[in-house]
Amino acid sequence: MTRKKLMSVALCAAMVGTMVGATSVSAADYSDLSIEIVSKGFQHQYWQAVKKGAELKAEELGCKINFVGPNSESDYADQVQMLNNAINAKPGAIALAALDTQSCLDAINTAMGEGIPIIGFDSGVPDAPEGSVVANASTDNYAAGELAAEKAYEVLKDRIANAEGTVRIGVMGQDAVSESVVNRGLGFIDKIGELAIADGKTIKLEGNDRYVNDAKVESTDDGNVVIETLVPSQVTSELSSIDCQTLLNKDDIICIYGSNQHSGEAMVTGNENLMKFGQGEDQVLGVAFDSGAVIKAAVADGTFLGAITQAPVAMGQTVVELACKAAKGEEVADVDTGCQWYTADNMEDPEIAQNLYD
Amino acid sequence: MAGKEKKGNAFTNNPIVKAIGTQKIVVVLVIIVLALFFSIKSPAFRQYATLVSIFDYSYYISFMAIGVTFCLITGGVDLSIGTGMICYGLFGGYLITHKGMPVVVGLLATIVLGLLIGLLNAVLVAVMDLPPFIATLGAMMITRGLGSVLTGSMSITWPPASADQGWFRSIFKMNVGGRMLPVGFLLVLILVFLMSIFLNKSRPGRYIIAIGSNKEATRLSGVNVVKYQGLAYVISGLFAGLAGIAYASTFQAIAPGTGAGLELDAIAGAIIGGTSMTGGVGTISGTLLGVFVMSLLKTGLPYIGLQANWQQIITGLILILAIFIDVLKNKKTA
Repeated sequence: MTRKKLMSVALCAAMVGTMVGATSVSAADYSDLSIEIVSKGFQHQYWQAVKKGAELKAEELGCKINFVGPNSESDYADQVQMLNNAINAKPGAIALAALDTQSCLDAINTAMGEGIPIIGFDSGVPDAPEGSVVANASTDNYAAGELAAEKAYEVLKDRIANAEGTVRIGVMGQDAVSESVVNRGLGFIDKIGELAIADGKTIKLEGNDRYVNDAKVESTDDGNVVIETLVPSQVTSELSSIDCQTLLNKDDIICIYGSNQHSGEAMVTGNENLMKFGQGEDQVLGVAFDSGAVIKAAVADGTFLGAITQAPVAMGQTVVELACKAAKGEEVADVDTGCQWYTADNMEDPEIAQNLYD
Repeated sequence: MAGKEKKGNAFTNNPIVKAIGTQKIVVVLVIIVLALFFSIKSPAFRQYATLVSIFDYSYYISFMAIGVTFCLITGGVDLSIGTGMICYGLFGGYLITHKGMPVVVGLLATIVLGLLIGLLNAVLVAVMDLPPFIATLGAMMITRGLGSVLTGSMSITWPPASADQGWFRSIFKMNVGGRMLPVGFLLVLILVFLMSIFLNKSRPGRYIIAIGSNKEATRLSGVNVVKYQGLAYVISGLFAGLAGIAYASTFQAIAPGTGAGLELDAIAGAIIGGTSMTGGVGTISGTLLGVFVMSLLKTGLPYIGLQANWQQIITGLILILAIFIDVLKNKKTA
């Protein structure tokens, strides 16, 4: 109970922080500024919402923004090129959601050399050189994964406690590289582990090596709660939905968590012929992340218990504000732009609906 | 090889084996062995839903593969079908979901855009005489970007089966009293049948084979090689358009910027099915069998607990083996 309370307090604080960040009127004049924003592309509508937020804020502050992104989230090299172009444009500040920090390193050092401050957003710029990234506007993905685990565990608690043999919880990650996707997975795994161990259970981790090795929860060979993480060798809808089917077909499966839009959609496709997701005692609990028409429909009709959504509009607003402040040499600090849990019951609420997209 | 005696052995000289083709029989055996192996190793694999899933995931690759077989037979290749399929599906879906057009218009637009890109490839390869690999690589990049441009870089969700506009999904999978019927497989079989007849019995089809065997000789015998070589790429574009519909039907949501690499699944299917990379040899039914080997591997390997990366390694090994058989055959006939 206290944990839950703590969580909601933390969430509220995060949201209030965002709102304050987004609405505070600064005295400084930013109208002479131009900000280059290098995103991960527009493949997912999430990014359209971030862009919308950025444009709203830019209009409010009167600054110019240039919002770009590569064609797909695997085009690392294209993003580096865009980052170089952004530096050449000599902007007041650059906002960057790095696909891969390593490949951006040279450009980041150049920016630092030219005194252009960088604001990280979305998954930020993990392991960036000291002093290059002055602040981040991002979702705490690990905490978001934990929130998904808590919500799933509320429903699963009795089933796990009463289980005679092993029970299995599946985690579907799009990849084992991107910090945001990995942290959402690890947050989920660690929290499920923590809650189950508190209830006298033991954990066994299976599947993708990165997730198994980086999870903090202790794994034992004869653990009675198995947490299995599957990552496709290539990011295709086909391979991910086959992963989902593989999990759904295991006898002891009780829950599957998909940590982004791609995985959530693959869960819907994978379930189509098997029809195993649902909220009944003998069904598999589905928990997703992000939105999009497919996932929204699955949450609305009860196929999934619910999903986590980030706050992309607020993120876009925050990143522009941070960038402007940094460009003027003002003090800036990291902002957690927050996340929300949505279900069939609350997805129409305005403060949630604004963050859901088709 | 000046000897007059018949080459081969009792197996390859058997009239039934000859009629069907050695490689196809081997592939059928591979399919049976794989299916048995997965069924024995995994009880979960032995269920109706798995079969439906294998069909689900085979439709779009089957269509791409049927189309690209024509290009391969001319001695060329079409690399634009993977990103093209995504691009056409994005465009058709965009018209339905963002422009409020009827589903029929979206379906037609998907096919027509495929035809247009096929025509572009035809002009580049047959008329302008560009190497097919380079020309269609260009078209691959173009379609990858075009999909993003046409839809404003948004991922597109085709109407779900439950919606009024979702009827198109029953082209491939019909829900009959809660049981999913993979009717798309019938459609694939019909198309394989029709395209086989076209390839082997019609004049244009035979010219396409002749171009692949010896383009110069075909031209000298008075055949309009530009026209028929181009036709192969138009067919490939048409089938990539159909693949776009199949993809939308199976996965519903299509993300721009994806699709690169999917063409290789289709090309691998054709090659495993006995189509020669050097042209002049290939059958549509063989291609379908090859696609099934790929689909079976992709669906089955996870059931026996193999990690994702091993699936690719095994698929790669099978592809290399198939090409090796092709090389051996060519050496024998040379």
